[in-house]
Parts: sequence; C-alpha cells; structure tokens
Amino acid sequence: MALTGFPEPAPAGDELNCVLCHKHRGLSRIDENGKFRLFYLNQELFDAGPHRRNKCKDCHSDIDRIPHKPAKKVTCTQQCHIVEPSGNVKFSHQSIADTLATSVHSSLDAEGNPKPHHEDYPGCKDCHDQPLYRPLSVYKGEVKPGITARAISRCKSCHTSGDFAEDFYEHVTSRLHKTRFPMETIEVCAKCHQDPDFRERHELDDVVTTYKQTFHGKLIALGSERTPDCLDCHVVPGENTHLIEAQDQPTSSVNKANLSATCRTSDCHEKAGAMLAGFQTHVTYDRDKYPLQFYMLMFFKALMAVVLYFFLTLIFLELLRRLFPRFAFFKDKEGNTPHHRIRNKKPEA
Amino acid sequence: MAKYDPIVYKGGKRYFYRFSAHQRVQHVILFSSVLTLALTGFPLRHAEEPWAKPLYDFMGGTELAPLIHRAAGTVLLGLFVYHTIYWLALFIKNDLGGLKQQGRLTFGSGVKAFFTQEMVPNKKDFFDILHVWKYLLYFTNRPPRHDRMSWREKFDYFAPYWGIPILGPAGVLLWWRDEITHFLPGIVLNAAYIMHTDEALLAVLFLFFVHWYNVHYAPEKFPAATVWLTGYLTEDEMIHEHYAQYVKIMIEAGLEDEVKPQHFAGEEYDW
Repeated sequence: MALTGFPEPAPAGDELNCVLCHKHRGLSRIDENGKFRLFYLNQELFDAGPHRRNKCKDCHSDIDRIPHKPAKKVTCTQQCHIVEPSGNVKFSHQSIADTLATSVHSSLDAEGNPKPHHEDYPGCKDCHDQPLYRPLSVYKGEVKPGITARAISRCKSCHTSGDFAEDFYEHVTSRLHKTRFPMETIEVCAKCHQDPDFRERHELDDVVTTYKQTFHGKLIALGSERTPDCLDCHVVPGENTHLIEAQDQPTSSVNKANLSATCRTSDCHEKAGAMLAGFQTHVTYDRDKYPLQFYMLMFFKALMAVVLYFFLTLIFLELLRRLFPRFAFFKDKEGNTPHHRIRNKKPEA
Repeated sequence: MAKYDPIVYKGGKRYFYRFSAHQRVQHVILFSSVLTLALTGFPLRHAEEPWAKPLYDFMGGTELAPLIHRAAGTVLLGLFVYHTIYWLALFIKNDLGGLKQQGRLTFGSGVKAFFTQEMVPNKKDFFDILHVWKYLLYFTNRPPRHDRMSWREKFDYFAPYWGIPILGPAGVLLWWRDEITHFLPGIVLNAAYIMHTDEALLAVLFLFFVHWYNVHYAPEKFPAATVWLTGYLTEDEMIHEHYAQYVKIMIEAGLEDEVKPQHFAGEEYDW
C-alpha cells in the first residue's frame, strides 16, 4: 500500500468510510450528561465478531452524512440489510426481544404495566455487553467447530465467492456447543443477581454466591466445561436462552413439577431418581429457610472449635512449659523419681 | 507378636518396640490415602481461591481428580474395614479365647476384657488429662506417666474412627447421587455435602496442627519422628511419652537398676 501511495481500502461493510475517523484511538468526548464516550472502533475485534458482515449503516441507520450529528442509540430489533437465507426476509433480532418480553426478565407484568423498579430489568445490551459480547474467537483463544473443520471443503466446492462458506459454517457450528465459558455466563447473571442493592429492591436471595458453593459452581471455577451454569438449569426446556421463567410459572424449568426432569436431562443426571430434585441448590444457611443446613453447619463449627481450641491450647502451654521445666507452685513429693522405687520403698542407689 | 523383642540394642543405645511391620504398613496406606484425598478434595472445597486451580490441575483436573479422590476414598474405607476386623479378630482370638480356655468367659468378663484393651480409653486416661493440665499450668512439676498408649494417642487413633464413619458414607452418597435418589430424598445430599466438607476440614486441621505437632513440629521430634518407619522408640522418647510402660519393660527385662528418672519438660535432650 505504501508503495502505490493509495490509502488502505475501507473494509467491505464500510461504505461511508466511517473508519477514516473512528480508527483513531482517542476519538472521544464528554457528552451533555458529563459522561465519557469513546467512539474508537477496534477493527481487529470487529472483524472477528458476529456482526462483521453488517454495514455500519445497518445498525446506525440515522446517519446519512459525514461529519454526522450525535447518532441515536442502536436498537437490536431493527431490520438490518442482511437477508436471512431460509425465508428470504430481512434479518432482525425482534423475535429474541419478543421471547425476552415473555420471560421473567421482562420489565412489564402480564397486564402490560411496568413492574416495580422496571428500570432494573435487562435489555439486550445489559447481558450482551462486555465481557460477554467480546468476539469469542479472540477471547476464548479458539473457535471450536462442532464437526471437523475439513467438512468445510464440501461447502467450498460450490460457495466459492468471498468468505460466505466460512461465515455460514461457523455460524451453524458455533451453535452446536457452548459458545461462552460457563464462568462468563455466571458473571453476566452476577452483574445484577449478586448486587446487594438490586437484591434488596427485588427481595432476592444471593443465588450466585450460593450457586458458587455447590459442586457445580466449584467445578466450573476449576475450569470444567461439562458442568451446568445458570442457563443450563434455568432456561425453559427446548427454548433459547432468552426464555427464563419464574419458579411459579407452570412451564418454568425450575418449577417444582419440572425440576426433576430438568436435573435428569440427557448429559446430566440421566439415571438419577426423581427425588434428586429435592436437592437444594441455593442454600443460604438461613435459620428459618434452611434449618437442617443451618444446624448442621453450627454443629460442625462448634465441634471444630472445641477440638482445635482444646488441643492448640494444650500445645501452646506445652511449648511454654519447656521454658521453665522445673518450676511449679506446688512441688510433687515424688518429683521425677521412678515410681516403682517409691512404691517398693527401695533406697536410692 | 513374639518376633519383636521389647528392647533391642543398636550402637550402644536402647530401642523399645512399638509398632509391628503390619501396623506400620497400615499407617502408610492410611496417610497416603488421606493426603491424596486432601489434595484432590480441598482445591474443590476452596475452588475460588487462587491456589485451587493450579493444585487441582496438578492432581488431574476436573476430569481425573474426582476419580483419584474416589479411588483413594475406596482404599481408605477398605483399610478402615480391614483394620476393624483385624482388631476384633485379635480381640476375640486372644482375649475372649483366652477367657474361654480358662472357662471364665461370661458377658461381664468379656466387657471387662474389652475395656482393658490398650487402645480403649480408661480411668487412667481421665486422670492423666486432669494431670497434664495441672502440670501445664505449673501446679505440679511432675508430668503424667503414660502407659503404652497415652490419652492423646488414643484420641489420634479414634479420630479416624469418628471421622471415617462421617466422611465415608457421606462421600459414598455424593458419589452415587444418581443411584441413591431412587430411594432417598435429595436433601440427604445437602446433608452429606455439609458432613463431607466440614468433617474433612476438621480432620485435616487436626492432622496438620495436632498430629503433626506430636510427630513433626515438637522440638524433640523435628523434623520427623521415626517410629512409623522403624517401629521402635528411643529411650528418651519412651521416658518422655510412656514412662509407666518404660519402667514396666525395664523391670521385666531385669534392668531395674538402669531405670532412668523421668524427664522434666524439655530436659535431657541434646538440642
């Protein structure tokens, strides 16, 4: 490029050459609310991300000239210019938003009225944000295809133009396995569910901390990817991850009636008895809610304290005794004389 | 048991018999399995700590370490059952059998025989506990005179006898969680989880602080006692820890005049 003197060509999706400005790392300002806004676009991350084939204007649709005025917030539900190949219609995330609206995370209740503290309820970007929205291949270090990568050669025999085969292949196969580290999923839920103020407003237990105390949580912390995270148990069976329902909904995966089926899905506790569902996952050791666990914990703590304090005091005093081996308030008549000599009244040799 | 002499001489020093090879092998199996269980269990118990993942990965990671843990647990439970049968068999053969030969075997004499076994806590242990506190608080200058098994050693010995019946069945329940929930409610697993993890913490802390003080950290033992390898105690150790037994053995061996006086704390050692 440097030899020909031409500028680098803009990436395929960048018809308006937006990166001419947005490639500068310092492109930022303080907005009307005093909030720092960064407008830098990391081309490398963008090219590795799921939206790399979208044009800037597909999402930032209100921008029609350069330089532009402050743009509107992007809504994920708007139709973009990608045509969805199966139905030949323009693509939109609207169906996901519809699913979310029927889930426990909807900010409106069944009658369509805002729930108390409705501003706490998540939109797309509350979960699909840093760190979750970072392109997988960059942060996970690898993209695991669902089936062997050699299979793509079949696609490429017809779909020769551009990266279509690679993109489509990756799009399909990445959905055949977990795309996120379970720990990332847990952190996303923890953003709200571990926040003390949030939990107080909505009267919720600290389910993230209690989950982390289970074998499931601990194995995940140790790097297991075959152990369930929040979504594996809480998503309504057969639905996508956006449909999580409250426990009292009859179709909820954690409703008492469905719980044993949820535990016993294939790949999990397939051979377990139905009573496995009686296991309490989110144990807070609250005396009223979990009396068995509370009293057992108290018992073991007390036992440990008694045993250890007794012996540690003994050891401490014993070490101290060595400093003054012969001192005593009351001297023993026998002293250190072998007791058989005293018993036998044998004269000292 | 006759193949071990109560006193052997080596390099001009007296050594006193304590553990047979059979018992020493059992101890090696015991501590190897317990250490393996601790190393594959505690990273999981403290998974959120920074040291947990490297240690767990070293012990086999999330796929292999649980299998190692269960294998070691099986060995430990096997040893526990074996040792109990071994002890009972010896008791029945030697003690009850002896009474039967003399025609004195009744329920009462059998119970009495049980309570005179050297590992079974008795009245002397109770008074030795009182005595040691008296001694440690400077109310007397004479340390307690223990027989072959002191009350602390009995506590060490019975710690696994209370730990394993709690840890073992709880571990088995958690291992066979899918099978047992066909006939036991799931909350049993919550109970088993607390029993397994908290009793394990107590066991490991007790071993690390108390047992390892007795055999590693105590100034006269540091860096390590050798009786678990040789089966014999030095004369100093005998005088210090088992003075009553020491006097008895010396008299039985006809060495009454060579009985040394009891140590005061920390004296008589060359350190």
